[in-house]
Amino acid sequence: MARQLTPLGRFLFVVAGLSLLGYGLYKYGVLARIAGIVAPERRAEGTVSKDDFGSGSAAPAGTGAATSTSAALPSGGSRLKRPIKVAIVLWGGYAGGIMANNGMLPNPDSTFSRDFGVQVELLQIDDFDKSRDAFRAGGDKGGVDIMWSTVDAYALEYGGLSKLGPKAIMQYDWSRGGDAIAVDASIKSVADLKGKRLACAEATPSHFFALYVLTQGGLTNRDVNWVFTSSAVDAANVFKAGKVDAAVSWSPDVYVAAREREGGHILASTKEATNLIADIFVARGDFLEQHPEDARRFVAGWLRGVEMVRKNPDKAAVLLQKSLTGVNTLDDAKGMLDDVKLPDYGENRAFFNPQGSIVNYFSIYQSAQNIWRKIGKISSVNPAQQTVDTRFLDAGAEFFPGASTSVAESKPEFEFKAPAPRTTAAPILTKTVSIYFPSGASVLDENAKAVLDSQVVDLAATFGSAYLRVSGNTDNVGARDANVRLSRARAESVAQYLMTKGFDRNKFDVVGNGPDKPVASNDSDGGRAKNRRTDFEVIAR
Amino acid sequence: MDVRQPITRHQARVLAAVGVLTFFALWCVLSYANIVPTVILPTPTEVLRAFPVLHFQEALVRSIGGSLYRVYMGFLLAAVVAIPLGLLMGTFPPVKSFFVPLLDPLRFLPISALVPLFIVWFGIDEMQKIIFLFVGIVVYLLPLVVEAVENVDDVYLQTATTLGASKGQLIRHVLIPGSLPAIGEALRVMNGIGWTYVILAEVINARYGLGYLITAAGKRSNVDQIFALVLVILVIGVVTDWIIRMVNKQLFAWNE
Repeated sequence: MARQLTPLGRFLFVVAGLSLLGYGLYKYGVLARIAGIVAPERRAEGTVSKDDFGSGSAAPAGTGAATSTSAALPSGGSRLKRPIKVAIVLWGGYAGGIMANNGMLPNPDSTFSRDFGVQVELLQIDDFDKSRDAFRAGGDKGGVDIMWSTVDAYALEYGGLSKLGPKAIMQYDWSRGGDAIAVDASIKSVADLKGKRLACAEATPSHFFALYVLTQGGLTNRDVNWVFTSSAVDAANVFKAGKVDAAVSWSPDVYVAAREREGGHILASTKEATNLIADIFVARGDFLEQHPEDARRFVAGWLRGVEMVRKNPDKAAVLLQKSLTGVNTLDDAKGMLDDVKLPDYGENRAFFNPQGSIVNYFSIYQSAQNIWRKIGKISSVNPAQQTVDTRFLDAGAEFFPGASTSVAESKPEFEFKAPAPRTTAAPILTKTVSIYFPSGASVLDENAKAVLDSQVVDLAATFGSAYLRVSGNTDNVGARDANVRLSRARAESVAQYLMTKGFDRNKFDVVGNGPDKPVASNDSDGGRAKNRRTDFEVIAR
Repeated sequence: MDVRQPITRHQARVLAAVGVLTFFALWCVLSYANIVPTVILPTPTEVLRAFPVLHFQEALVRSIGGSLYRVYMGFLLAAVVAIPLGLLMGTFPPVKSFFVPLLDPLRFLPISALVPLFIVWFGIDEMQKIIFLFVGIVVYLLPLVVEAVENVDDVYLQTATTLGASKGQLIRHVLIPGSLPAIGEALRVMNGIGWTYVILAEVINARYGLGYLITAAGKRSNVDQIFALVLVILVIGVVTDWIIRMVNKQLFAWNE
């Protein structure tokens, strides 16, 4: 006879049934599938490796075309009746403009107004979001016409701003020490970062810098545990508090954090990676269209200011301290100037020429865009050509007669002494490259040159101030002495080839290790192949 | 319209609907007609289009889950601390005198300035986020609880005393039931506070979170996504507010 269930019994019955059903759904993957529809995971992050940077990264179609820079200024438009408004931040890179403007606000002693006939107002907006709000509003509506960015960050935000038709119009500095990686005592080189907690502000120049250094040192973005913060200062604080093993941040916070943490030190900075973080001005499309002549004069006036800073850095430091909020002492201002390099007119021309400098606007933009896409930060890509308009820069040539506009004419920025210093300090990073040489020979064939072009030239140019130790390694087949000689000869031919790209021979320290430094066992074909390699060690000066 | 002239339920609903619709119409006119550039004020269509992107690429649902967890853990913790402490403070003036000089100034705490300190004290994982929200909520909740207890009419206490109630009975049968409806209402108001702090709470190491998504969208100048995310928070706010209201009504029906 069926018995009536008590309420509790009925409840238990239902619970048991539901549990069984739930387990079945889980077991056969139905739950996972439902979760995939109802609450999908974030778009999977791709792997970024050493091949994603530099000329080795495949350029999207349509970007190989020659520059559109030969054209004259856009016709039409009118002269602006108000000051050009420019968003800047607390940073030494603005010394050129501050010097040219003799301060932040328009004034009669401004070179901009005296020699170039434009009024310029610089606005210090340290909050990133607010500076973007101001750019979106535009100079006519209480915002700004021109804003600061870095090439890498610009590649990230271009999509969101594209409706404004923004264009990069000039470079005002290279970060030279402004960005750095602080690490704890256990980390001596990039390879040691594997599996460590690394803090940085996500999708910022810090993030880009970290990815570059990691990948060149043989790691990928998946080899570290990222701790993302919303600002660079937070990243430095987290490191200082001992919550992470390493942090990427900017000057001065990152140096303070490295100093204040027991055993903390700086692993790498843009003092070595001199040509990676490029600060640029981005102007609104409507501003450029309506007031092209003002834009041209702004660019030229700013670059005149760069010349003034170079002639009189002390005055620039005084002006910087007076103008920017947050510079406490004159020494701070001098330190800020030391963290940047202000490119002049000729260097700007070379930077905005795809065939100009080895590392240029286009190469950085494409690398950055490629990387942000791979790690899922952007989904649409734009040709680099579309994001830049160099006509205002090019049309300023009349103000800079005699400026060299090609790299070949300009003199090298860094001096290298022979022999290179053999310090006991570990190299910042070691990039391992397999270069094929015919048996017994030390001649580079076309394939080998292509490998160097894609893997090493960009590295050598980006780490502009650092020495590069080129060490040849062989397997253990054959006599040791002969192998040592051969590996040295091969390393030397690598260095000779790199010289043809415009590098100073003294930048390279050539070493032949022969079979003495194997990275794998010589007992197998695979192991021996791994040992036949060329290591490029980046060594800080 | 006369001062405090009552209106019918129906009228109230109509007026509310008109209010919402007017606001929406204004948004449509300003954005579609491009009176305000869409990079500043995106159109409703753009905001709507941001949802699939957020859902399929940015793990919106998991982020909602993450933020709900943090906000309501902080909320729960705040309630667990503030209600007993508030009862004590409201019941025994000496306790109140002891705590007031410590707790009153906390309401002026510029909590955003403490983010770095919280990281140092509580690390960078869930604990830091929950404690941050807890502090943000508790400093406002506590004074409201105290007030709720103090507002229980003396008449009830006197009546109970006359009937021979002991101290414990006064608390259990007069002060607690008398103040609970007001405490319930205080919790409802505090529901909003946690959401206003969620961006600050998620500034660091938040893999899933609405605050984190808003920060990230800001960096990429995706104004449409920011609007969409704010909309999500508003909807969560309205829904949870309604839930708490219903629960209060059920629990404290005798108060009506």
